[in-house]
Parts: sequence; C-alpha cells; structure tokens
Amino acid sequence: MHNWLKIIGLKGLVSIQDLGRLSSQHLGFTAGGAADEYAFRFANSLLGNDQNNACLEVTLGQIELQATCDCFIALAGADCQATITQQSAPPQPIKNWHCHLLKKDQIITLHYPKNMLHSYIAVKGGLQSTLWLKSRSQSWVENELGFAGNILRAGDQVALNSKESSLWSLAQASQPSTSQADFYEEGLLHLRFIPSSLFLSLTSHQQKQFIEQSYVIEAQSNRMGYRLHGNIVLRQLPSTLSKPVSYGNIQLPNQGQPIILMKERQTIGGYPIFGTVIQTDLFRLSQKRPGEKICFIAFKLAQAQAQLAAFFQRFN
Amino acid sequence: MLVDHNISIQGNSENTVLIVWPEQICAKQHQAISHYQQLLKQQLGHFLLETVSSYNSLLVYYRFELISYEQFSQQLLTVWQSVPDATVISAITAKNTIEIPVYYGTEAGWDLHYLSRELALSTDDIIALHANTIYHAYALGFTPGFCYLASLNPSLKVARRSKPRFKIPKGAVAIAEQQTAVYPSSSPAGWHIIGQTPTSMFDLSHDQFSPTISPGQQVIFRAISYDQYQALGGIVVLDQQCITG
Repeated sequence: MHNWLKIIGLKGLVSIQDLGRLSSQHLGFTAGGAADEYAFRFANSLLGNDQNNACLEVTLGQIELQATCDCFIALAGADCQATITQQSAPPQPIKNWHCHLLKKDQIITLHYPKNMLHSYIAVKGGLQSTLWLKSRSQSWVENELGFAGNILRAGDQVALNSKESSLWSLAQASQPSTSQADFYEEGLLHLRFIPSSLFLSLTSHQQKQFIEQSYVIEAQSNRMGYRLHGNIVLRQLPSTLSKPVSYGNIQLPNQGQPIILMKERQTIGGYPIFGTVIQTDLFRLSQKRPGEKICFIAFKLAQAQAQLAAFFQRFN
Repeated sequence: MLVDHNISIQGNSENTVLIVWPEQICAKQHQAISHYQQLLKQQLGHFLLETVSSYNSLLVYYRFELISYEQFSQQLLTVWQSVPDATVISAITAKNTIEIPVYYGTEAGWDLHYLSRELALSTDDIIALHANTIYHAYALGFTPGFCYLASLNPSLKVARRSKPRFKIPKGAVAIAEQQTAVYPSSSPAGWHIIGQTPTSMFDLSHDQFSPTISPGQQVIFRAISYDQYQALGGIVVLDQQCITG
C-alpha cells in the first residue's frame, strides 16, 4: 500500500536520480546518477536517509508537488525560493538546505532559481520508483528504452516509503558537518584535473596554453557532457581506437574544443583524452550554467583521492 | 604509469585505472584481454566495482579507499604477467559462434544501393562479403547491448555517414570502417544499414539484462529469405525517406 508524491505542475525538467548504475557500464548502460552529489547527499543526510536513496533532481525549478500523506522532505542545491501552500492560505517560504514536514494535500512549489541549475528533493526513506540493475536513476539518453520508468512529466506520481516516514520526526534531523558556502565556487570555477599520458606528452608551451586560459561553457552542455569554448591548443589529433571513458574525462574532438564527460556519458569514446577532472569539481561544475567560465589546474592523483575521501567523510 | 613491453597502466581518475595495449584490432590480443579481465574478477574481485573493455583497452573501477593506486596497479601488472599465451587461451576458450539471421533485401538494407555505388560492388557481392564470415566481438557500448564486431572484409570499408540518421529500427544490421554491428534498439545511427535481423540483442528475463553478444565471443551472419524473416517474427521497417522522397 503506497503513498504518492504527485507532480501537479512542471515547467522545468525533473527525473529520479540516485548514485547511478556504475556496475552496468560493461553492458553499455550509462552510469547516470545525480549530477551534483554534494547537494544530493546533503539532502539525504538531513533526513538520515541511505546515501543512495532516490531523490527528485529538478533542473531550473518550476515544479509543484503534492503528497497523499504527511511526509518529510529535504531541499538542497539551486535555491528555488520554495514555498509550501496549505489550501487557501498564502504560500509559506521554506529554507533551502533544510528538511521540512510536507502535510497531506499541501503543495510545495519551486520557482526558477536565480543561479545554479539542479535542486534535489529527498523524501524520508527514498522514492520507491522502478529499480533497474540496482538503481532507480532515470536516463534521458536511454529514456525510450524505459527500463527505469519513463522520465517524469506533469501528472505523474512517485511512490513514497510510507513506513519510514511514520517512524521519524523533524527533531531527528541531522545537519551534515559541511556548509554549502564552503563547497561551491562563485565566478570562475577552477577545475582540478589528473593529466593523461597524452597531456604529459605535449610540449610545455601547449600544456601552458591549455591551463593558462579560461573557457566558456557552451549552450549545448547537458547531463551527458559540458562543451567548452576557448582558444584552440590542438586540433585534428590522430584518432585512436575507441576506449572506455569515465566521469570527468576531458575529450578533445577534431575541432579542438574540449568536452568534459558528465554523469550520462556513453560508455565508450573515440576522441583523445587530455585528462580527468576530479569528482568534487565535477559536482561543482554541474551547477554552472552556459556562459559561465572555468579554467583547468593540473592535480596529483593521490591528492584527488584524498579530496574525494574527505568529501565522503562530510556525510558520514 | 606502469609500462610492460605491451601494456600500459595509467591512473585515470580517483577510482579508475586505464590499461592500454598496442593500437590494433586483433582477435588474439583481445582474447588475451578478455581472459585477463576474467582473472582480475577472480583474483582482485574484492577491490573491483566494474571493468569495461574495448578493442585494446580495459577500464578498471576499484575501491580506492581500500588500496593505494601504486599497490593496485602493481597487482594489475602481476595478474597480467600470469596470463598464458595465445595458444593456451584459444584452447581453453569456449568456441561457440553466435549465428545471426539477416534479411538482406534492399528494402531492409537501406544503404545497399548507396554502398553498391560507393564500393563498386553489386549488392549480392556486398552481402556475400558480409555474411558467412566469423567476426570477433570487441566491445559493448554506445547503447545497451550494442556490440562492436570486426573485422570486415577490406572491400567493404566505408566511412561513417557524414550526417547520422535520426532514427533507425531495432534489429538494423550495419557497417562502418572495419566494423559491423546490430542496433539493439531504435536509435540515431551513423553507420550504413545493409539488412535487418529478427533476433533480439538482449534478454530481459529475471530482471537482468543479458546481451546476446558479449566481448570475446564470435559472431557469424547468415542470409535468410523474407518468408524466413517473417516466420522468425521479423517486421521489415522501410526507410521513410525513400517512400516520401
């Protein structure tokens, strides 16, 4: 017997995301998963959820939701000036980066955020949507295959974990030992990357050209990859046989403008790879909009691992 | 980066190691890679999250919190050094070849006439060169269940379409460069379609995804008639542009 969270209004984009299906890439499935793991994990942590509990990933806000029962929700990520409305009463603003009680028939509204892109709505116990290959993540790229249910549209509803909600109270809400002000970088985003053997084989002049300029994020950027525009360092590099690619790989197609592979990348790619952006910086990158700027900084693998380990620690 | 005489091991990201072999499409080399992948799962399974192979490379996802990159890459090298030579692998590898029935009629093979002009071959010759040859499966990627097969007869070599098609049917059999493949689902495609198969490229029973063709296996295409195609449940999907254009 389920309770439901219904999408009663939608102008932005929404999908169900958890940490993805990393271990199904050998079958050709995109790993997928929440674009900004900082905000995603933060929301789950507030509610004492499992870190992999499925949430709604809302892009550019503009969504209205209603639950068929009382439930605990948490909001994190882009600030959508969210409100909760009870019947004919005026909308009450609710804080981002906090959890709230959403009562039966109340409506939660997220507006268009002034900055950043993705907001996460977590529910106590996680969303109970279709599990496919151990993940509930929905894929835009694989949507037609429909394995994890089709991506949500206005009028759709998602099942809630009623049992968990009834055993909890806001007094139990925990604040992760981290502050969002410390995490995101305003203005020019510095992307630390682990150079590939290809990058290391470039002349020091070419390496400097890559690192000593800023790039603009192009409009065609999305969950599959972020396309950048800057001064061309190299073009028409000799093509090599297609290889498995990973989250954060910096590809250099023929025309010389880099692409950073994000959560919904395909599993194999034929373009040369300059290196890999570190994961915590990819979470930051996912919240940057077209027109914003980035630059690259070479980084050591061991330091990147330390950064990621420390990141996971914030939520334990 | 660790380099043995024919393998390079690179720390790609926090939790992945990229292993690259000599740049060639070679079934023997790939058999060794597939065998190595199996050994890794058996011997280092407690560290592994995922392994993805391709023509001459393997990406290994590992639990970096349990082992340092230096130690892990050393273990990867040690396992590689224990891989037997090609003849031994050949002897112990299962030899069953997967047969894929294909209807090569020109209404199913949307690009047969185009290829006939490009390659200066009759459509019958193209079909004869594509079918009845054993291909090696090198990689699963692009879309779930899509398996890259090689190598085509050199007479069939043709570059990808300059403009990919927006949509091709599930079961389309296609070629590009030295590769051939079956599209497991309707999708955009940049390869040339030469026929259609009624065989599904994956099985979904028991809530699993079992691909029909996996890297390391062998595949052969067999021509069937329109009647046989229909009897196997196939429906020929026509090129809409030919109808309206």
